[in-house]
Amino acid sequence: MADPLLLLQAAADTSRAYGEFPVIGARQFIWITAEVHLMFAAFVLGVPMFAVVTEAIGIFGKDERYDRLSKEFTRLLLVAYSATAIWGAMLVFGLSTLYPRFWAYLTAIFAPSMWVYAALFFIESFTLYLYYYGWDRWKKGRAKLWHWTLGILLNVWGTIVMFIANSWLTYMMSPPRDITPTTDPTTIKLWHAIANATWMPINVHRVIANVVFGGAIVGAYASYRFLAARTEEERAHYDWMGYVGNFIAMSALIVLPFAGYWLGREIYQYDQSMGITMMGGFMSWLWVIQAFLIAVLFLTGNYYLWIGMGRIPGAERFQPYTKYLLIVLVLGAIVWGTPHTMIADSKELAAMGGSHHPFLGALGVMSAKNTAVNLMILTTFLSFLLYRRANVRPVVPWARAGTLIQAGMFAVAAGVVLFYGIRGYFVEAIVRIGYSVYQVLAVLACILFVTVIDVLMARGAQSLGAIRWGKMPPRSQYALFILAVTFTWLMGLMGFARSGIRQYWHVWQVMQDTSAYAATPALGYASKMISLCVLIFLSLVAFVFWLGGLAEKSTFVATERGAQHVGH
Amino acid sequence: MWATNAKIVGIVLGTLALYTLIANKIPQVQSEVPQALSLGANVTPEQLVAAGEKVFNGIGGCTTCHGLGTRAPNLLTDETGTGPIGVRCAKREPGKSCKQYLYESLDQPTAYVVAGYQPIMPVMTKQLSPAQVWSVIAFLESQGGTVDVTASDIPSTATTSATSTTATGGAGAAGGAAFAGGSTDPKAIIQAAGCLACHKLEGQGQVIAPDLTHVGSRRDAESIRKKILDPASSIAKGYEKLAGIMPKAFGTMMNAAQLEAVVQFLAGHK
Repeated sequence: MADPLLLLQAAADTSRAYGEFPVIGARQFIWITAEVHLMFAAFVLGVPMFAVVTEAIGIFGKDERYDRLSKEFTRLLLVAYSATAIWGAMLVFGLSTLYPRFWAYLTAIFAPSMWVYAALFFIESFTLYLYYYGWDRWKKGRAKLWHWTLGILLNVWGTIVMFIANSWLTYMMSPPRDITPTTDPTTIKLWHAIANATWMPINVHRVIANVVFGGAIVGAYASYRFLAARTEEERAHYDWMGYVGNFIAMSALIVLPFAGYWLGREIYQYDQSMGITMMGGFMSWLWVIQAFLIAVLFLTGNYYLWIGMGRIPGAERFQPYTKYLLIVLVLGAIVWGTPHTMIADSKELAAMGGSHHPFLGALGVMSAKNTAVNLMILTTFLSFLLYRRANVRPVVPWARAGTLIQAGMFAVAAGVVLFYGIRGYFVEAIVRIGYSVYQVLAVLACILFVTVIDVLMARGAQSLGAIRWGKMPPRSQYALFILAVTFTWLMGLMGFARSGIRQYWHVWQVMQDTSAYAATPALGYASKMISLCVLIFLSLVAFVFWLGGLAEKSTFVATERGAQHVGH
Repeated sequence: MWATNAKIVGIVLGTLALYTLIANKIPQVQSEVPQALSLGANVTPEQLVAAGEKVFNGIGGCTTCHGLGTRAPNLLTDETGTGPIGVRCAKREPGKSCKQYLYESLDQPTAYVVAGYQPIMPVMTKQLSPAQVWSVIAFLESQGGTVDVTASDIPSTATTSATSTTATGGAGAAGGAAFAGGSTDPKAIIQAAGCLACHKLEGQGQVIAPDLTHVGSRRDAESIRKKILDPASSIAKGYEKLAGIMPKAFGTMMNAAQLEAVVQFLAGHK
């Protein structure tokens, strides 16, 4: 009997490996379909998360505005689900016809999970239909709780579906080490392939990123409806909705870097050369672009909050401080964007006397960058705190002491961040890496305890006047658009980074890409593809939202109660 | 409303254009698929240096760490007053020439970790073909020193060397990139695959790995085939420290006919 490996080899020699797509090419087709599918998928996974949270706030806080808001979020999902499925189908057809050998390899390992994926997508869709169309039928008493449970189930199905798809792509990045090019894929245990080194870090990173993304897109939707509003009440409703979307996006964004850090560490531990390619190799400039985008996000997010203070009576007390916050944010962004480990040729290296700039090189190291980003996060949190406090005067007897304690917490957190940032220059790399944990913990502890004190201090607080929802200049709404475009573009860029570090491998060091598109393009080309994908996605989303508007009138409800406090 | 729509479209397109413009203004580096490196028997030092520079700045990934001053010693610029690598290489280890020191540094990088740096360098003789390794050595020697690498240092320079053990292989490679132009001449395949960089056969090659001259008396055809397809399946006695060195991709770098030709050829060496 012939050796099975020989039979496999013989089959590989004769079967067709690649197809071609007219005009744009096979890789471009897969790139576009995969990216646009992913963007829709992120949207339909992110929005249900905060739809179910806002519904809960509506139920347990007995505030119908949140229930209506949740329903409006969910309405956006209906058509977006179809678009997700259509782009997913195009991706599968593309893979099976343009990359048949690679697709056959993946299906040989993952076929059972693909069937589970399809079944769960089916169940998820019908859960969504029940959730949305049953909204008004199951709106009271115990039925409402059952309805809310449907929302939770929707999230459970969606998360499992994403985890399954993540296992396929992370296997391509980090196949278990015992799998070699000669391993017969039909002999690979399914769970062994799923539970690869980067699967869980990607899962966690994507869950958080989906919330960020969903919040940003909802913010853009609300801003459009705000700009198109014909009445003051409608404008007030969509102003509030945009604020909530932005708040969700920025809150989740703050924890996203920590998940990204975990993913990066796992990549390094799995294969150091892959990590070096990502951070110091041909992709090194990508992180400078990423730093620029993050700077745009922080600055625009804060700008939106600062403009929003203009509609809050009492906010004028804090407005003089915003210029200092702006200075910290700009300085932080500059430090974070300082290039460090750039790939360079020998002439460039010789001209610089090394790859670092003699002065700026000191700002490009992780000690400086971690310090900068943690201070930016603290600053953004302070912006939010000032916004939240704008129309409130605490009346609890310990209000002054509480405020001083809060200020002290900020000072201590900033001090810890600066101390370890500076000390990091004088210790070995392995010690320095550990310092980032102390910096992060100091910032998170500050956010947690300051928030707790603030909530306690706000009890029975005197209102300086209701928020004038809807009294926002149009530029604030355009800021929300910039946030949505930037988040979407950033998602495309990070997708390129994750996929590109495999370079000319379909499956890292197991299955080589021998197609005409095996070389990984430079950032300039990638940026054009990303912009094209973002444009396609946003155009389709605009169409989807327009359809949603046709199907049902706005769900806003006018309320006086809603203007009592910010952040609710 | 049309004015508002136009403004929104303008902001979206403007933002996209800005990001695309910035990404196109930075240095453009594409990750190429490694190409075969052809070095004939009459290769000159200049050709070796030129080839080595390409490997150093490209597939070798050397610039990622060397030259930064934090991850690894500077090689092309001065390192703490000792000059570039071509100047200092002969002084690093007593009794070792520049060429010997550089080869051993690429082959056993953890043996010569410079004080103050971590042992993070991968074994480059696993990552690169012999032709690439020796061309990099020539390039490094040229940085302030004298190039004394010649064609005789490079195993199998008479034929085209595969670029890299990681650059080939993979099921996807099968059928497309076969050694020696798809020839089924076992000697040509063995030469092209760079087997003699480690193994000795019929009086040629290195003795880093087991001598294959009488391999047929130790292993039957099935065992040889299995060893090529899965090098970790068995390790010859006395070579345990070299476990994992042999590339695992040879099985897919050859087509089925080539693999069988090599197996039968080696099995016949009793």
